[in-house]
Amino acid sequence: MDSQRVLDVRQMRKTYGDIEILKGISLSLDRGQTKVLIGPSGSGKSTLLNCINYLVPPDDGEVKLNGVIVGDRNLNAMRAKMGFVFQGFNLFAHLTVLDNIRICPMKVKKVSKDEATERAYLELDRVGLKDKAAAYPAQLSGGQQQRVSIARALAMDPTVILFDEPTSALDPELTGEVIRVMKNLADDGMTMLVVSHEMGFARSAADEIIFMEHGVIVEQGPPAMLFSSPQQRRTADFLRVIAEHA
Amino acid sequence: MHDFLDFSRAWLPELLKGVPATLLLWIISITLAFFLGLALAWARIYGNRFWYAVSTVYVEVFRGTPMLVQMFFIYLGLPEIGIVFDSFTCAIIAIALNSAAYQAEYFRGSMQSIPHGQMVAARACGMSQWQAVLHIVLPQALRRVVPQWSNEAILELKFTSIAYTIGVVEITARASKIGYETLQFFDIFILAAIIYLVLTSFVASLLDWVERRLHIPGVTNVG
Repeated sequence: MDSQRVLDVRQMRKTYGDIEILKGISLSLDRGQTKVLIGPSGSGKSTLLNCINYLVPPDDGEVKLNGVIVGDRNLNAMRAKMGFVFQGFNLFAHLTVLDNIRICPMKVKKVSKDEATERAYLELDRVGLKDKAAAYPAQLSGGQQQRVSIARALAMDPTVILFDEPTSALDPELTGEVIRVMKNLADDGMTMLVVSHEMGFARSAADEIIFMEHGVIVEQGPPAMLFSSPQQRRTADFLRVIAEHA
Repeated sequence: MHDFLDFSRAWLPELLKGVPATLLLWIISITLAFFLGLALAWARIYGNRFWYAVSTVYVEVFRGTPMLVQMFFIYLGLPEIGIVFDSFTCAIIAIALNSAAYQAEYFRGSMQSIPHGQMVAARACGMSQWQAVLHIVLPQALRRVVPQWSNEAILELKFTSIAYTIGVVEITARASKIGYETLQFFDIFILAAIIYLVLTSFVASLLDWVERRLHIPGVTNVG
């Protein structure tokens, strides 16, 4: 059985003021797995993602990437191996699409310009935007920007990619193109942790669904099981609400 | 009018000899101020408490006191504790230190106007804070600051005339000297004003061109 542990998150805690956002969350991903985090807003999903790569330093807990504990001393090296796709894309506005994808490999991994360029075109092709290499982010649609940001993450050859509500800022007609790219990545064996309420994606691409509420994991399991016969009442209620709005 | 043209023909060459000194004073001081201003803005936004305090006090002191007082202090005050510079150097130091305080504020504003998410994205891919500022924030902030920086640069070009008070022989000093020789103050200062106007107009158009050259959709607006 191929179950190489890639990401191991143990007992993550985070408190803002008086509010405990994460109450000791643990989860793990094996190589090639895709897990989708769902839950009502304010449940701590995004905070969890941000704590995993220490964009928001957790108060307590431990993150291991390929067995190495993430901490202040190896932070940049560890982040280089964890792709992050933001809800708001966060592309670099002054750089062309090509440079957006090349800059991190060149500055962080010290990859040569030629190599970075070759890789950038490869990833652009993968997200279907090879013809947009020379465009600036402001000249692209939201869906295109998000696909560029996925290519930017891929170009770092990441061990795992964290997706923080990648389609929430998009108009409904643009979510499809992003979801398709993500589905292909999952099928290609990329290891992904995705915060998303795109149930179609969760159903077809996820190895496991994790339902979070009030800073704890309420229930987790394969999509077929979790969607058809949730064990917890809260999960069933939430899934019903989501279904009504879809 | 005829008199003015004759006067100009006679004295313009002499007056123009002051232009290199004015321009040199301006270019050196504004360049020094650019780098010092960047460092101050950087310290204020990304520095620890100490550097934040240093930068804040610096900016408040130099914006809150007259440049002329600052220059006299450097030229006349510092020698009393054994620090002596020639008048040209004193003028450069005074203008540079003063302009740095203003430029720092413009840089700070434009750096803070860059959406924070881009900084986060840079850090998320493994860049250090230094790299993220250098490669992501600064290139955008510098493009956005051009209009304000252009105003500051033109202001400083005119402020170089205060160097005359400590004996730097630039345009205003030469105008004054010619005035006392010819007693035609009206004509000579009109002529000096015209030279300044030509210089400032040239600088303004140059920086307008720079702004258009550096324009990137989504980063700056060009009217």
